[in-house]
Amino acid sequence: MAERKTEATRRDFLKLAGVSAPGAVSALAMSAGAAGAADAEEMSSGTGLRSTEHVLKYLETARY
Amino acid sequence: MTEFLANESAGPHKAPNAAADTLPKEELWRADLYDLLAALLARPPSGELLAGLARLEGDRQTEIGRHIGALARLASATGEKAAEREYNALFIGLGRGELLAFASFYLTGFLNEQPLARLRRDMARLGIAREEDVHEPEDNIATLCEIMAGLIRGRFGAPATASAQREFFTTHLEPWAEHFFTDLEKAGAAVLYAPVGSLGRAFMKLEAHTFRMIG
Repeated sequence: MAERKTEATRRDFLKLAGVSAPGAVSALAMSAGAAGAADAEEMSSGTGLRSTEHVLKYLETARY
Repeated sequence: MTEFLANESAGPHKAPNAAADTLPKEELWRADLYDLLAALLARPPSGELLAGLARLEGDRQTEIGRHIGALARLASATGEKAAEREYNALFIGLGRGELLAFASFYLTGFLNEQPLARLRRDMARLGIAREEDVHEPEDNIATLCEIMAGLIRGRFGAPATASAQREFFTTHLEPWAEHFFTDLEKAGAAVLYAPVGSLGRAFMKLEAHTFRMIG
């Protein structure tokens, strides 16, 4: 299989398969509630697995 | 899942958060896999989804890629009606499907137990709401996969930190999801869903390993 094709398949995985989330859940409409504080702490932008290079390398070996 | 299926109005999700565009590709693969599993487990696959799956090509060098290849081959040979019959036999059944895909059932032997209560607390804390027209308990495997994808993509706010993702995974998926996917893989009624089970099992193992590395 051509590597380039595989790469394209992976990149457009959802688009290609027409997958969309079932839509059983959504963001809670928050009115300055208690949830806001924990939310901001645990969902700070730009983190995720980004800073963990060895983890990204590991995931790369398991790619599809 | 009958009630859930009766509510076709639970339509596709709103557009993903723009932050998703800036995520590393490894994060997007994970979110894509969670969304794929959620789509296949929430309801019988539509003809369009089957056609889309049939076009996928997995990387033959990896276990997950091989399971995706197997799923693509079976999707190309499965009609919408047959897929629906299989889904119903597995998850709906006459009175009850072959499998009960709920955390509470796997962990306690009963539905609507402590794992669901804990999930509801965590969802509230993370700012995640169940859609009003969905009546199925949230601790079903499809919803948990949808939540993981949403946390990664930032559908409920900003993309979740690795530790927030890990906490959700280790609390709500790791204790039972691999067991469930192994059951699905081996289920008597599973044909199209056998590679879904294999894919889910391999992915849950990968996720557990990944999160242990983050430590």
